[in-house]
Amino acid sequence: MGHLLEVKNLQTQFTVDRNVVKAVDGVSYYVDEGEVVAVVGESGSGKSVTQYSGIQLIPSPPGKITGGEVLFNGKNLLQLSGEELRQVRGGEIGVVFQEPMTSLNPVLTIGYQIIETIILHLKMNKKDARKHAIELLKSVGIPDAEERIDYYPHQFSGGMRQRVCIAMAMACKPKILIADEATTALDVTTQAQILEMLKNIAKETKTSIVLVTHNLGIVARYADRIYVMYAGEIVESGTTKEIFSSPKHPYTISLLNAIPRLDDPRGRQLIPIDGIPPSLINKQDICAFLPRCQHRTAACSFKPAPKLESVGGSHYAACHEEITSEAIQETAAARAASKDSSADVVNDQQSSNENLLEVKNLKMYFPVTKGVLKRKVADVKAVDDVSFTIKKGETLGLVGESGCGKTTIIRSILRMYEPTSGEVIFDGQNIAKMPKSKLRPLRKNISLVFQDPFSSLDPRQSAGSIIGEPLIIHQLTKTKQEYEKRVDKLFELVGLNLAWKNRVPHEFSGGQRQRIGIARALASNPSFIVCDEAISALDVSIQAQIINLLEDLQKKLGLTYLFVAHDLSVVRHISDRIVVMYLGKIVEVADWKSLYENPLHPYTKGLLAAVPIPDPFVEETREHVMLEGEIPSVMNRPKGCAFINRCPIATKECSEAEPPLIETENGHSVACIKVGKEVGV
Amino acid sequence: MTIEIIASEKVVEQEVKKTRNTQRFLRVFLARKTVVASLAIIFIMIICAIFAPLLAPYDPYKQDYAQILADPSLAHPFGTDMVGRDVLSRIIYGSQAALLVGIVSVAIASVIGIILGLVSGYAGGLVDALIMRAMDALMAIPPIILALVFVAAFGGGLTNVMITLGLSLVPTYARLMRGQVLAIRQADYVVAQELMGSTNIRNMIKHVLPNCISPLIVLITLNFGVAILAEAGLSFLGLGIVPPKAAWGSMINDGYKYLLSNPILSFAPGMAVVLVVVAFNIVGDALRDALDPRLKGSL
Repeated sequence: MGHLLEVKNLQTQFTVDRNVVKAVDGVSYYVDEGEVVAVVGESGSGKSVTQYSGIQLIPSPPGKITGGEVLFNGKNLLQLSGEELRQVRGGEIGVVFQEPMTSLNPVLTIGYQIIETIILHLKMNKKDARKHAIELLKSVGIPDAEERIDYYPHQFSGGMRQRVCIAMAMACKPKILIADEATTALDVTTQAQILEMLKNIAKETKTSIVLVTHNLGIVARYADRIYVMYAGEIVESGTTKEIFSSPKHPYTISLLNAIPRLDDPRGRQLIPIDGIPPSLINKQDICAFLPRCQHRTAACSFKPAPKLESVGGSHYAACHEEITSEAIQETAAARAASKDSSADVVNDQQSSNENLLEVKNLKMYFPVTKGVLKRKVADVKAVDDVSFTIKKGETLGLVGESGCGKTTIIRSILRMYEPTSGEVIFDGQNIAKMPKSKLRPLRKNISLVFQDPFSSLDPRQSAGSIIGEPLIIHQLTKTKQEYEKRVDKLFELVGLNLAWKNRVPHEFSGGQRQRIGIARALASNPSFIVCDEAISALDVSIQAQIINLLEDLQKKLGLTYLFVAHDLSVVRHISDRIVVMYLGKIVEVADWKSLYENPLHPYTKGLLAAVPIPDPFVEETREHVMLEGEIPSVMNRPKGCAFINRCPIATKECSEAEPPLIETENGHSVACIKVGKEVGV
Repeated sequence: MTIEIIASEKVVEQEVKKTRNTQRFLRVFLARKTVVASLAIIFIMIICAIFAPLLAPYDPYKQDYAQILADPSLAHPFGTDMVGRDVLSRIIYGSQAALLVGIVSVAIASVIGIILGLVSGYAGGLVDALIMRAMDALMAIPPIILALVFVAAFGGGLTNVMITLGLSLVPTYARLMRGQVLAIRQADYVVAQELMGSTNIRNMIKHVLPNCISPLIVLITLNFGVAILAEAGLSFLGLGIVPPKAAWGSMINDGYKYLLSNPILSFAPGMAVVLVVVAFNIVGDALRDALDPRLKGSL
């Protein structure tokens, strides 16, 4: 008996600027009925292109499928065309895309869009199709489906929209559902909800699911089998347990060493993968991972590209070397070493007791106006009465789902917005209401590292002049030589090659650009750096490089960080103290240890439970407590505790008054009336 | 060892990348044969304008009453006009006026328009409202009518034609520039400058302006054609360049009276206008394609 979907030696290439890019280079895999298969890889590894090649969704030109076959139920999909192909696409194979914002047509109701698919493929009449659509919406967990079916996409949140997309993909009972980074753009809690739902669908309807993702945590929690892709090839495949317990390919091994985990021992040094993924232009017949490989030998560079070979059971890897036991030892050694260093963690906190930044009762309201005269009718309380302090030399993590006010806080502190009220005391001076002209010279002490390394650098400036910009603005160097010397030093500090000074941003990779961004932030010798999701736009293998760089710089230069992120594993790795926000308010503040080991607020607990750990064995034993629902709009904040609608332990009392932030023990504060009582008992 | 070789190859590859971008620009730009032909036409026009005294077979102002309204011949390829002047020579000299009007009026329009748009988009608020409403008012009147009014008020002549055409084209630049500035202002790298404590002027000139300019280059090219056409139109109406100075528009007007007997008198300068305007339009379009990052790699 064959597999449901079997891809054999698939080859897809793109022609870019007259160069051939082999995006998919001889990929073979299969999917059986009812299983969840994950395709893991960094951006540019060809994981999406592989999926789209099968259903001929590759833009052509410039793309072209040059070889191989895709057998689905015995039919070769690559030979189908026109009507037959349309029957398979959307009928027997459904796709859910990454961006729920752009994959629905904004001018049509979601009902219309789902019914359209149903009528097309299932040949139902309109009435039955509508009934079916409502059932589908209910099955993907959309409340009030009868009413909501006539809503337009913009009336749904991102998570809800993704549910609609899944309902649409599931409309014709497909045999395979391809989820292409379907949860990447969503919050962790929503991500967990959606993936849990997909897994249930797979179980109930025997639909196979292909998860295309870069997140190893998701894979460990949800997938049955894994294909690891690198540079257009599958480098390792096997069951989830086989791959996580004994990874055989150096890339997989390095990847697992490079990502921070929620259950890491503190102080574990991340082991980044050096270099950047290879360009696929004019690829040669040689191991693609060779330049970055820790386990390469002299012989590797003379051999043609390795083929996938069985390393036991259903486990395959494409590597010339048998690095198994050695690699595992090394992995173990790295972990052990980090455990040793966790002893010094207490000493590691060099933060003094002096406050560098003090935010007191910060409020940032945006007025909602109505009518021609712009009468103010309400306020959007984006940040409502927030106070926290950052000590010199420490790293404060700021976490929360999107829409909780993280970004607004940063922007108010940096005076990109004018705060409605409250104080921001930096180094003894209140900068919240300071006139801009007085503030300008102070700006050299505070820097911001942006999330997006692509849009935060002037595309027309050379790297050298981008980094030197703050020096000129604040006239920090007197002579030309001094300026050049300082720029050179900054280049070295962030690990950039001096020969690259005259290059413009698009000639750098994402990780290198982020290094430029960091160097620019360091140029004026600031004492305080705000990192706004500074690593979340980077690939997994590059993230570790940047995290390590930030940590090194802190040690060397005694910097203070405000680290804003939604990735709780990263925040845990880098922060000394952590602030958790929900709907414009702080719900919990604690040092990293108490927060992760003993979270008090039910929201924090839910957030932590939603983060998958890249280890199937840990995941098996973990309780999956799910946060229901979604973060409400700031406009209609629930009465009393804002978290009340999603809280598993909420009672009537909670709706009576807003819970104040109360310190329960040494440095651990929480805003929940229940917690106070538990402690009291 | 081999690994080092691979690494150094990578460096070379990235060095090559820079030249590749210029190459790509040129390849997309010159992909169509019409663009090459258009560039050739523009080049010929510029050569004609600069070397008119050397290229023209006759003095364009010398009247030869023995040769009034001569048919095209080897001596006079496009014939002669009603006072015996050689039409070909007048067309060659006419390119001077056309080119001058094109360059000067577009320069006036783009410089004023870019400054207004930059200030308007960057400052926002009341400044923005005032500038843009003024531009709207100016835009409500068609350029040629506006030019008519100016010329009627201040008189014709080359200088006035250039100034009025320039001014009437300002709103397009100001609006396009403002739109660009509004988009670029939001970019993280501009915000980054503000957070570094950079002054507004510095930020505007050093970071916003250079990143806004490429669609404006396209507009400038396209407007060369518009300006040349408008000048021809004004000269045709007798409001432009004062006779006897050679200008394509006034030549068409002169020949107009002999359209039935000697159509070549209007047809020849008319073709010159059409060719040059079409050439500028094609080059402008190609420039837009080549500068548009979304089209990168599609050709």
